[in-house]
Amino acid sequence: MLKIKNLHAQVEGKEILKGVNLSVKPGELHVIMGPNGAGKSTLANVLAGRDKFEVTQGKMEFSGNSLVDMLPENRAGEGMFLSFQYPVAIPGVNNMYFLKAAVNAVRKYRGDDELDAVTFLKMIREKLKVVELDDSFIHRPVNEGFSGGEKKRNEILQMISLEPKLAILDETDSGLDIDALRIVAEGINNYRNNDRAFILITHYQRMLNYMKPDFIHVLMNGKIVKSGPKELAHELEEKGYSWI
Amino acid sequence: MSLTNFQNEFQKLLDRKYFSPELHPVRKDAFSKFEAIGFPTQKWENWRFTNLSALKENHYLISEVKDAPQKTPDISNYKIEDLQTIVIYNGHFQQDISSVPEGVQLLTGSEYNELKNNQLNHSEKSPFDLLNTAFMDSGVCLIVGKNTIVGTPVRILFISDGDSSIMVNPRLHIDIESGSLLTFIEEYVGNATSLFQNEAVYITIEKNSEVEHIRIQSSSENTHHMANLHVEQFEDSQYNFYQYEDGGKFSRNNIYVDLNGENSECRINCLSLSRGTQHLDNNIVVNHNCPHTDSSQIVKSVLFDKSTGVFNGRTVVQKDAQKIVAHQSNKNLLLSKSAKMNSNPQLEIYADDVKCSHGSTTGQLDDDALFYFQSRGIPKNEAFVLLVSGFVIEVMEKIKFEPIKNYIDKKMNTWIA
Repeated sequence: MLKIKNLHAQVEGKEILKGVNLSVKPGELHVIMGPNGAGKSTLANVLAGRDKFEVTQGKMEFSGNSLVDMLPENRAGEGMFLSFQYPVAIPGVNNMYFLKAAVNAVRKYRGDDELDAVTFLKMIREKLKVVELDDSFIHRPVNEGFSGGEKKRNEILQMISLEPKLAILDETDSGLDIDALRIVAEGINNYRNNDRAFILITHYQRMLNYMKPDFIHVLMNGKIVKSGPKELAHELEEKGYSWI
Repeated sequence: MSLTNFQNEFQKLLDRKYFSPELHPVRKDAFSKFEAIGFPTQKWENWRFTNLSALKENHYLISEVKDAPQKTPDISNYKIEDLQTIVIYNGHFQQDISSVPEGVQLLTGSEYNELKNNQLNHSEKSPFDLLNTAFMDSGVCLIVGKNTIVGTPVRILFISDGDSSIMVNPRLHIDIESGSLLTFIEEYVGNATSLFQNEAVYITIEKNSEVEHIRIQSSSENTHHMANLHVEQFEDSQYNFYQYEDGGKFSRNNIYVDLNGENSECRINCLSLSRGTQHLDNNIVVNHNCPHTDSSQIVKSVLFDKSTGVFNGRTVVQKDAQKIVAHQSNKNLLLSKSAKMNSNPQLEIYADDVKCSHGSTTGQLDDDALFYFQSRGIPKNEAFVLLVSGFVIEVMEKIKFEPIKNYIDKKMNTWIA
């Protein structure tokens, strides 16, 4: 589904990714860990198509299409989703309006009919239950005045509404209290299936207590330096990164 | 337009029989004062960023009988539900298609003058006030008596059309006696090829009354538009002002509010949308002349292309006006490298127990927000529209009369898209 080969990327002339290789198959859950500044968020942003990150070398393919020149909105249409580490607040834009625009834009891209207001509302109410938020939540401006936990749950709400093939979750577990962490983890678990893959970027293994990753990768200095099974996360938590 | 041209036109006006001679003395007095002062120059503090040279180059004639419409003007394009409209076409009152709601008394300028025993309220704050008094036409005076809730909003629709180069100086007096309520709308539209519009609006809000005033300026792209608004408020009165403007080649709004009674409150909300080489300019002065008064100014501009904008906002708190609350906010969105905004928020406080704030920000669209939308599948151009709408929506959001709010929303969305 996702194939990354020897990926190099820079921001403002500074090389951050220095040859990343990663292959993700449908149904898999990959976890990327690593110290601060290793390039984890850069990788997520490059995958989602943020234009201030420039790909200088290498290949990225998603469902057989090259990502390098694909617009971010088309990547979303193709089924990629990025949950942001710091979701931006947008005063003046109603959360429901935003969600509806997003869902319908993606449906349109995929050749599906756009949802009318009633159908959309019914759908979104179901999804709100999953992330344990009440209706009032969607009538507020996007992320404006949301707590840390609410922002992350809003990201999960968007994810389950947009039904991606690949979700990249960039530190979705950071700054969450235990309840929010459980809700987010359950949201992801319930949403896993044989066709859908996840890349989880995190500092901590505590979210991994709730889920079963297939692979743990260590990203350091712009490269994946070690990959292993779930147990690797425990080892990293205990020993840090210096032993690698 | 040079001074000589104005002098010629003024003489023409005095010679026309249909302008009431009772008003001549006040006209003459204002005109001689205007002659003495002349046009503002960019050396004047509040006109530093306002270039009037284009206005001075043109030659405008007073609107005459020939400028009246040949047949009843079609106003179906400006339809708004549940309100009554007074139509003024090139300065000419259109009786057939005008009406006022129950509770509102409509007078012409000379009738009103008579009612006031020739003591017409007039300002000399700017040369354009003087010019308006000298040339005032299309007088519309609305009086709402004591304890009258006017349920239906009234709109004054100014249509300016035609190929001749004319000037129109509408004069409005709105008097709201105590314990009453009025929603009143001014709307400026038309396709005039060359127009100088210089209106003056005087609003008096007596004790315990409320006025919701909505101003829509969508004049033709060749219009030089000058608006002079004077509001005087007494005890326990409320004034809510909403201004939406996207029209005119040049527009300058001089807005003065005097809070002259305790517990009076004014809310000024302005939205200016400009593109091309438009210049949209707001000059606002709120005077807190009494204790326990409350004011706010929310002024936003969105500028495309090479358009320019000005915000001069001044809040003055007089020495004995303690316990007042005043907020001022100016936010501007520049959507092109060549667009330019001059923002000048000012507080002038002579009292010591007050709560005042002011702020100004000018910036571009947030890249992070744009990317956030795109990453959710929303195409860039659509994301752009959503974000600009999100920026402007706050200004008109509190309009109570839904049909006008929807009407403005529609205009706004068409403009942004």
